[in-house]
Amino acid sequence: MSMLAEGLAYFGRFGVDETLLQAALERALARGGDYAELYFEHRVAHEVGLEDGAVNRAFLHVSLGVGVRVLKGDQTGYAYTEELTRDRVCEAAATAAVVADGPASPAPRAFEVRGRPDRYPVKLDFEGVDIARKMPILSEVNALAFARDASVSKVTVGYADSDGAMLVVDSTGHVAFDRQPMARLTVGCVAERAGRRESNHHNLAGREGFEFFTPERIRKVACDAVDRTVFCFDATTAPAGEMPVVLAAGSAGILLHEAIGHGMEADFNRKGVSVYSDKLGKRIAGDEITIVDDGTQPHARGAINVDDEGVEGQRTVLVENGVLRSYMHDRISAKHYGVEPTGNGRRQSFRDPPLPRMRSTYMMPGSVPPEDIVKSVKRGVFAETFTNGQVMIGAGDFTFYIKTGYLIEDGRLTRPIKDTNIIGNGPQCLERTDLVGTDFKIDEGGWTCGKDGQSVPVSIGMPTVRVSAITVGGVN
Amino acid sequence: MPTSMTENTLLTQAKDAARLAQKLGADDARVGVSRSRGVEVEWRDGRLERVQERTRRGLSVELFVDGRYAAMSTNDLRPSAVEAFLTEAVAMTRVLEPDEHRRLPDPARYAGRAAVDLDLADASQAAVTSEQRRASAEQLEALLRARSANAPIVSVTSAVEDDSGESARVHTNGFEGVRQGTHFSRSVQVTLIDQDGRRPMGWAYTVRRHQAELEAAETIVDRARDMALRQLGAGKLATGKYTLVVDRQSVPRLLGAFLGPLSGAALQQKRSLWDGKLGERIASPLLTIVDEPHKIRGLGSALWDGDGFATHRRAIIEAGVLKTYLIDDYYARKMGVEPTGGSTHNFEWALGTRDADGLVADVGEGVYIDRFLGGNSNGTTGEISMGCAGRVIRGGRLCEPVAEVNLAGHFGEIWQALVAVGNDPDPNSSAAAPTCVFEGIQLSGV
Repeated sequence: MSMLAEGLAYFGRFGVDETLLQAALERALARGGDYAELYFEHRVAHEVGLEDGAVNRAFLHVSLGVGVRVLKGDQTGYAYTEELTRDRVCEAAATAAVVADGPASPAPRAFEVRGRPDRYPVKLDFEGVDIARKMPILSEVNALAFARDASVSKVTVGYADSDGAMLVVDSTGHVAFDRQPMARLTVGCVAERAGRRESNHHNLAGREGFEFFTPERIRKVACDAVDRTVFCFDATTAPAGEMPVVLAAGSAGILLHEAIGHGMEADFNRKGVSVYSDKLGKRIAGDEITIVDDGTQPHARGAINVDDEGVEGQRTVLVENGVLRSYMHDRISAKHYGVEPTGNGRRQSFRDPPLPRMRSTYMMPGSVPPEDIVKSVKRGVFAETFTNGQVMIGAGDFTFYIKTGYLIEDGRLTRPIKDTNIIGNGPQCLERTDLVGTDFKIDEGGWTCGKDGQSVPVSIGMPTVRVSAITVGGVN
Repeated sequence: MPTSMTENTLLTQAKDAARLAQKLGADDARVGVSRSRGVEVEWRDGRLERVQERTRRGLSVELFVDGRYAAMSTNDLRPSAVEAFLTEAVAMTRVLEPDEHRRLPDPARYAGRAAVDLDLADASQAAVTSEQRRASAEQLEALLRARSANAPIVSVTSAVEDDSGESARVHTNGFEGVRQGTHFSRSVQVTLIDQDGRRPMGWAYTVRRHQAELEAAETIVDRARDMALRQLGAGKLATGKYTLVVDRQSVPRLLGAFLGPLSGAALQQKRSLWDGKLGERIASPLLTIVDEPHKIRGLGSALWDGDGFATHRRAIIEAGVLKTYLIDDYYARKMGVEPTGGSTHNFEWALGTRDADGLVADVGEGVYIDRFLGGNSNGTTGEISMGCAGRVIRGGRLCEPVAEVNLAGHFGEIWQALVAVGNDPDPNSSAAAPTCVFEGIQLSGV
C-alpha cells in the first residue's frame, strides 16, 4: 500500500480524504505562500502506575488534529484545528495563509509518494495489549527492587506506551505517513539507612511495541534504580572549582547535546544568534572528534523514519575529525543555506510548527582505552549518571547535572559523589576534550529535549572522554 | 462572576460527560472541559517571523469504579468518540488493583467559596486585531534598537501574544465550577556580539490578565538590553564563598527547590527533607510567604483548588517557620491527616525597604546573580547545584560581568542565610519574588 493510501486508510475514519487535502492546500496558498503543508496526527497513549505496592492508577490520553503551515520566504504562518472536518481544516488553512499577501500560488494536482525506511517495526501493537498484561510488569519491577536491597523503603513504577500516526502532505505534492511507537519504563526508589534517606530514579525507553518490556530490561531498570539510590549513602557533593572531568560512556552524551547540539540547530545560525554561527568549515575540536546526529538507529528513542516535514530521517555528520561540517536543518533553514534538509524538522505535536531538532546525538569512539583515561587524571571527577542539562545558545555556556560519580585521585576512582552540576562553555569544552575512549554506548534512557516550549524524544551516546578543565559546581 | 453562554455550554458538556461515565459503570467521576484561543505574533529583525493561532479544547475525566481509579483526557470530542473512550476507560479501571484512598473529596470542603470577582478576564481581548499585534511587536523591536544606540546588536526578536480560555468542572458529589480568564504578554530578546565571538542574549517580558496593566514597552526593552549588555566581556570568577544579591526574576528557581518537598506526594513517598519539620524554623526569620488565591486580576488566582476545595489566604512560611504542608486530598488520606490543599496561587512576601540598587549598595562586596542556568536539586536531602551568571559587586556597585559560575549547597541552609529582602516584588510572576540577599554561599568558578 502506498503511503498516501496507508495514510488515508488511517485518517479516513476521521473524515480525511483526498478532496479535503486538495481544498485545504488550495486555501493555504490562496494568498501567495511559497509552500504549504498539512500535518495530521492521532496519538493514543497509555500510562499505568504502581505506588506502595499496588498497580492502582491508569491514564489514557487521546490527541487528534491537523496543523497547517504556510511559508513565505522564511516567514511562517501556523494554525491548527482539532476537528478534522473540511470546513475547520480550511479555516485553519486560511488563518495560516495570512503570512503572505499576494495572488494565489498553485496547489498540487497530484500527490507523489516515496518509500520510507522501517527503523522501528512493531511486533506487538499496543492497541492489542490489554491492561491486564501490562500490570505484571510493574509488580515485577517492584518485587525486584525490594529484593535488591534491604534498605529500600519506597518504590514507584511507571509504565508508558504511545502510538502516534502522522500524515504529512505538502504543496509540492509530497506525502509521508508514519507510525511512531514509544515504550517507556520508569522506576523511582527511596532507601533508608540509619535514619538517612536517599532517592533516585531510572528509566528506559525505545521506539518499540509491547515487546520492549523484556525480562532483561525489567530486571535492569529495577536493579539499576536501586543500586543508584543506595550508592548515594556513601556519596557527597563534589569539590568546587575548575578541574579535569572524565565522562563515562553512554548518557554523558548529554554534554554533546547541550555543548554543541543546540548551537548547531540551523535556525539559531540562520538568525545569527548561535555561538557556532560563523564556524561552518572551521576547526572547532581535536582531530579525533567526530560528532553525529542520527535518525537511523533501529528502535532508538530518537530514531525517525521521516521527520515531521516528511523528510527522511538520516545520519548527519556535524563535526568530522574536529571540523564543523553541517548544521541540523529543517526546510526553512535548508532553503536559507541552499542545502538539502537533513531530516531534523521535528515538532511536539500538530499544535506546533516544526523546528530543527536533534534525534540521536553521539560522539564516535576514539583510540584511547577507557581505563587509561581515568589513569591520566591526578585529581578530578568521574561523571557516571546524569539527570538534565541546559544551554545558552549565543554565549555558549551550558550545564549538565551529575547524579552520581566518583572523585579521581592519582588515577583511581575514590570517593563517591552525587548531585553536582557542571558548567562550561561549549566551544571551549570541545577544544578541551582531549582524550576519546575506544568504548561507545548509546544510552537507552528516556531523554526528552525541550526547545521553544516543545518537547521531543531524543537519544544520546558517548565514548569515555576527558575534558581537561571545566568548572565543577560542588562545595569546598 | 457573570456567567457567559459559553460557560453554560461547557458546564452542560461536563455534566453530560459525568452522567455518561456513570451510565457506563463509574460510581463517581470528576470532569473538566476547557476551551481556549490564543494568537502569537513574532517579529524579527525588521520583519514578521511567525504568526501562530492556537485554538484548543479538551475533555478530562477521572473515574472512580469499584474502589479503583483511572484518569483520561481527549480532544476528540465527537460524541461517538467520547462514548467509546469512556467505555474503554471504565473497562480499564475495573482491571486495576483497588485503592481505598481514591474517593471524591468530602463535599463540605467545596463550601465557603469566596464571594469575590477575581476579574481574570479582560473583555477587550476579543477585539484585538492581527494588525495591532503586528504593530506592537514591530514597535518593541524599533524601540529596543532606538534605545540601544551603541550596543553591538546581532538580532532582535519580539513577540506579542494574547489568549482567552474558559473551563468548567463537575464532580458527581456536588462540585460545580466555571471560570474564564485572559492573558496578554509582550516579550523581547536581543542578541549582542562580544569581541571574542560570544553572542550573549538578554530578554524580558511582561504578562498580565488585563491588557491595560501591561508594563510600558520602554520598561521591558530596557530590561532586556541591560541584561544583554551586562554580559559583554564576561570573565570567570574565583571559586569561593560570597554574598549574593539574586535578581527577583531568578529567585523563584531557588524558592521552587525549597517549597517542592512540602507536597503531600513528596512527604508520603519519603522524598521530603521537610518531613517532621512542621512548626519549626526552616528559613531565615526574614522569610515570610503568604499564599493569596484571591488577588484581583492575579496570574495565579483561583476560587477553588485542584480538588475543588474553596481556597483561602494562608501563610506557608512565617518569619522562617513552616506553617503548613501542601497536602492534597488523596495524599492526606494516604497519610491519615487532614488535607491542607495541594495548590499554591499568588505569593506575598514580607518586603524590605530597599530596591535592587539599594541592596547592592548595602552589600558592598559580593556577586549579583542575574540568571540561573540548568542545574537541579534533591528534595530528599536538600542538595542544590546550578549554573549562574551575573556581576561582581565591589564598593557597593555592579562591576565586571562573570559567567560559567555555579552555585551549590543545601537549599535549606541557603534560605537560612537570607539576610535581606527587597521592596520590589516581580509583577510579572505569581511568585512575586523581590530581590533577595544571601550570605556565605558557595560559588564555583576557576
